Amino acid sequence: MKRDLMDIICCPLDKHDLDLDVESEEDDEVVAGTLTCTDCGETYPIEDGIPNLLPPDMREETPA
Amino acid sequence: MTGEDLAARRGVETDVYDPAEDSRLLADVACDEVASDDLVLDVGTGSGYVAATVADETGARVLGADLNPHACRRARDAGVEAVRADLVSPFCDGAFDVVTFNPPYLPADAAAARDDWMEVALTGGETGREVVEAFLNDAARVLAPGGYVLLLVSTLTGVEEVATYAGERGFSAVALADHAFPFETLTVLKLVR
Repeated sequence: MKRDLMDIICCPLDKHDLDLDVESEEDDEVVAGTLTCTDCGETYPIEDGIPNLLPPDMREETPA
Repeated sequence: MTGEDLAARRGVETDVYDPAEDSRLLADVACDEVASDDLVLDVGTGSGYVAATVADETGARVLGADLNPHACRRARDAGVEAVRADLVSPFCDGAFDVVTFNPPYLPADAAAARDDWMEVALTGGETGREVVEAFLNDAARVLAPGGYVLLLVSTLTGVEEVATYAGERGFSAVALADHAFPFETLTVLKLVR
């Protein structure tokens, strides 16, 4: 994900801002890291350049 | 047409809905409507076809959101900025000039229930409107002043019912394009606050 996505995304639960913690970056894109809600503290992973901003209760829900 | 027929007709053995007539109609309309300086969100982006087409044709920045991790990866491979999301829930208030959505709209058919990602991509609950309604409940929040939604609706879902529901959420609806097929007519509604 591009860093300026931070201006567009928020915590899906309470709509507060997120803090970006970068683990790896490539070609101006964050490839791995975490996003943490500045209010509720919930963390959301960034994997393979894709932020997973599903609410935690939907994160593990996959069809059979 | 049942979900099973549609799935078979569209050859969906994969985990991600491939672009079909509905995707192309929405992409065509969006390419006419979107301006180059718009920020666009394509909800349920799937393969990323609509998002990538609109970005290529208009020069606008288009994000793609999907619930399905396979879709997110495929959209990203197609050059789309992908976000794994439940509808518009992780996007800031007033963020987008345009939100496009080709929703899962087929009424669920118990006999055709597949219990996989493709069913999630195709069916909108018993009425076919469950996902559309959940979307409409939150869509206005993420629109910038003057922003609008382009929503693909099928006669199988009920165009009047969707327009009425949108009206109750403060939108006025205009049909921008429709295309008749043997089993359904597809319409793109422009929803303005």
